[in-house]
Amino acid sequence: MTQEAVQLSLPGFEQAHGRWRAEYGQQIGSDRVIKNRSRIEIKPLYTPRDWNGDAFLENLGFPGQYPFTRGIYPTMHRGRTWTQRQLIGLGTPEDYNKRVRIILDAGATAISLLPCNSSFRGVDCDEVDPILLGTCGTVINTTDHMDRALDGVPLGRISTAMNDPSPFTLLAFTLGVAKKRGIPWTSISGTSNQSDYLSHFIANHMFYRLSLPGSRRVLLDHIEFCRKHVPNWNPVSVVGQHMQQAGATPVETMAFTISTALQYAQDCIDRGMDIDLVLRRFTFFFDISISFFEEVAKFRAGRRIWARLARERLGAKDPGSWRFKFHGQTSGVDLTEQQPLNNIARVAVQAMAGIMSGLQSLHTDAYDEAITTPTEETARIAVATQNILREEAHLCDVIDPLGGSYYVETLTDQMEQEMVALIGKIDDAGGMYKAAESGVIQSMIGESALAFQERVEAGDEKVIGVNCYQIDETDRRGRPTERPDPERMEEHVARFKAYKAERSQADVSRALDALGRAANSARENVYERIVEAAEAGVTHGEIVSLLRRELGFGHPLVMV
Amino acid sequence: MHDDVVDKLIAGDSPTLARCITLMEAGGPTADLIHQRICRHVGRAAVIGFTGAPGAGKSTLIDAYIGVLRARGLKVAVAAVDPSSPISGGAILGDRVRMRRHAEDCGVFIRSVASRGHLGGLSESIHRIVDVMDAAGRDFIIIETVGTGQSEVEVAEIADLCVVVNAPNMGDDVQAMKAGVLEIADVLVVNKADLPLARRTTEQLKNMLKLRRERLDVPVIETVATKETGIEALHETIAGLLTTATGDKQKTRERRMRRLIAESAGRIVHGRIRDAAGGELEDLVKTAASGEIGITEAARRALKTVL
Amino acid sequence: MTANTLSPPARVLVTKIGLDGHDRGSRIVAAYLRDAGMEVIYTPPWQSVLGVVKLAMEEDVDVIGVSSLATDHLIVPKLMAALRQAGLGHIGMVVGGIIPEDERPALIQAGVSAIFGPGSARDDIIAHVGALAGEARDKRNAELREIAQ
Repeated sequence: MTQEAVQLSLPGFEQAHGRWRAEYGQQIGSDRVIKNRSRIEIKPLYTPRDWNGDAFLENLGFPGQYPFTRGIYPTMHRGRTWTQRQLIGLGTPEDYNKRVRIILDAGATAISLLPCNSSFRGVDCDEVDPILLGTCGTVINTTDHMDRALDGVPLGRISTAMNDPSPFTLLAFTLGVAKKRGIPWTSISGTSNQSDYLSHFIANHMFYRLSLPGSRRVLLDHIEFCRKHVPNWNPVSVVGQHMQQAGATPVETMAFTISTALQYAQDCIDRGMDIDLVLRRFTFFFDISISFFEEVAKFRAGRRIWARLARERLGAKDPGSWRFKFHGQTSGVDLTEQQPLNNIARVAVQAMAGIMSGLQSLHTDAYDEAITTPTEETARIAVATQNILREEAHLCDVIDPLGGSYYVETLTDQMEQEMVALIGKIDDAGGMYKAAESGVIQSMIGESALAFQERVEAGDEKVIGVNCYQIDETDRRGRPTERPDPERMEEHVARFKAYKAERSQADVSRALDALGRAANSARENVYERIVEAAEAGVTHGEIVSLLRRELGFGHPLVMV
Repeated sequence: MHDDVVDKLIAGDSPTLARCITLMEAGGPTADLIHQRICRHVGRAAVIGFTGAPGAGKSTLIDAYIGVLRARGLKVAVAAVDPSSPISGGAILGDRVRMRRHAEDCGVFIRSVASRGHLGGLSESIHRIVDVMDAAGRDFIIIETVGTGQSEVEVAEIADLCVVVNAPNMGDDVQAMKAGVLEIADVLVVNKADLPLARRTTEQLKNMLKLRRERLDVPVIETVATKETGIEALHETIAGLLTTATGDKQKTRERRMRRLIAESAGRIVHGRIRDAAGGELEDLVKTAASGEIGITEAARRALKTVL
Repeated sequence: MTANTLSPPARVLVTKIGLDGHDRGSRIVAAYLRDAGMEVIYTPPWQSVLGVVKLAMEEDVDVIGVSSLATDHLIVPKLMAALRQAGLGHIGMVVGGIIPEDERPALIQAGVSAIFGPGSARDDIIAHVGALAGEARDKRNAELREIAQ
């Protein structure tokens, strides 16, 4: 793939190339080795000598055809633009409802929900200092809260992404709401955006609630439940974002993510599930960094690798199973606190990379996303960025526009090679579950993070406003920070306490007993009991603490 | 002031215990004085060493075990030992946070100890740290080490008994574990016993024991630390072994004391030989460097010179 | 890389209180401090104020570094009050992460020695924490001498 391309019979090529090399050498002055974030050396020029399109059908093919390097669908964005799916969440269910209605009124058909950090921690709103509630997400602890959050939202007609790690209570609450409204579960569509417990264990401890074996059990039950009862729901989203944000290089991120997907697929196969039925509901979720070409190559390589593994290794027969569907979010890690308006430019570049990589849905960060939950204005700019790229820059007109670039194709091949090697190493370690358990993945990510930081410290990795082009910002006007209204939050918590006192304790006890029994059984579906518990009025915190007791509290392995 | 400190310590004041541990780690005349004064109050606590390779679930097991001790109203102290960087001298001490459940329980005193360049890998002050924890009235003292081999042998000298934690599916089989570590075990634990290969690991350990010439009857206990299964059985085993070992407690202490004296003596001599200036020792060094006499002979002569 | 000159080594707690869980920054700072010769007690996110006070007491730490995102820094003054109440007022405090400009003065007033935003230089962090540890030791030793008199 990256070997010297077959000798071209281009008359005069060698001579011209030689002349360019000589002139370049003379004029460049002090040249230096340039490496991208994955530490692959980047040359000043790529030519047919590096890549010349041989084995076109085998390695590239056409959009919608195996191995899907150029895109998973025949039409891609020209046919249907990527889904604009902006993450939102803050304050009380009513605060969320206000925001989501604005988005729906503007014509969106896809929404997402980000719960409060207290929720990630696994507790209810009455268990934490109120000053911490609702600052980064919406406080939703019961079916009733979800009902109020989704008031007036046509559940059966839009797609919802729930940023909800195991044990997936947000979906349980949503199903409860659907039942109440007489909407059949078969018309509920969306994704469990944070179902990837391995990525949490490895790289985002905030989302890690249950022990590893417990998380494994609940995920498999969740997949089976959804396949049976909520067939248009994607129960699995394999997340590369956390690892890249924690410092994994783009190559590492894609390799680790694909290895994780292989692990989950294998777990499903071991349980006797039909791999084709499982894989068609696998989605992926990635960060898009500002290393523009590297990201494009990363995603193209990922698409190709996944197609081959799904078909050859996992034995999936349905072409739908070989398609690498992914959601991209512009990376908050590249954004700076210094001179925040610069972040608008950064997000535009990241979004471009994602679009040209052929993603299926996109979230663009607001320019102040690193500092605070976006305001209406900054959220609007983030959406406008996508619209500008589509309507004004016409990024949708051509499928895989960077395909055929000597650089991009060479880089795609190189990154693929490294990814495949890394996946092989994880295979040798016994698969992603074992590798994560042993801490080896975490160590690699930690090393990459430290190495990157050191390059920034040394000024080798330039960050405008931070280690170069700094300005004096000591008298920076701090915009008053937007916080959820404390009175409304207080009222929300009080209402929640009253709700707990008034609900049927008998129903709740029964549901919790059933959940406990299921957790201790080998064959019962734990997730089914979670959904029933949600319906019976059990709260998020109650569900999580029971499961932590029965299936093990999630202690992440901390490696420094 | 030292009276005050000692009084507070044996009364069980935790901040005083913390300060004393810092003192003991630093060493010096104040540390020596206080240690001397508390020796009378030492000998009540049961000292248990826990070790095992990373990934065996040792910290989770200790967390659960402490729960069992606390349920019986026993006061616990934990010394969690981690290696210091040989290059920078710094350390990351991250074990105590795995004992999550006891984060707010004053009946559980947890101290992270860095090895601080002790040649054996284990803090030379760990002996004194255990003594002050003992004098402070803690009933059970747990020493947690990483399982690299050297420090475990040292823990075996300090502790009344040693628990070695294994887990199934950890790379290769039991035979791969450093022989020395298994040999010091008074109790062998197979954690994560709900995994399919657990039974096989237990069998392997039992078979390995059968091949021994002595100490064939080391108990092998299966646990699932995350579900708190087998922890009561573990405690019963430990408690049983402790009662049969009370006679040996004095022996253990004396063995420990001998080691402390040997180390202290070694430090004194080491310092003297290293720092001594002038004639006799320098000639000796030159003679050894030229090969006229061997190092052992040179050491014997040096001892005569500096003592 | 400046070496820490305290002997015995400075003992620093790096922790996260409140609800946020992003710890890439705090892990990197912990590594910096270790490489500078300090002993770092490192905790994962979600530590409680009571838990941190108990930990600081048992571990006899010199400095506490709190990593904060969102509104977590708002409970730092509560932590400091609890430390003082437990007789641990000598411990130095630094905060790292994203803290809105308008909320920084309150932290400084509560006794936080420095706030390190993203992009803070490694050597600055190490130097400051090292100096703070020295001050904490001096303060504590002075307190002990006072008690002795």
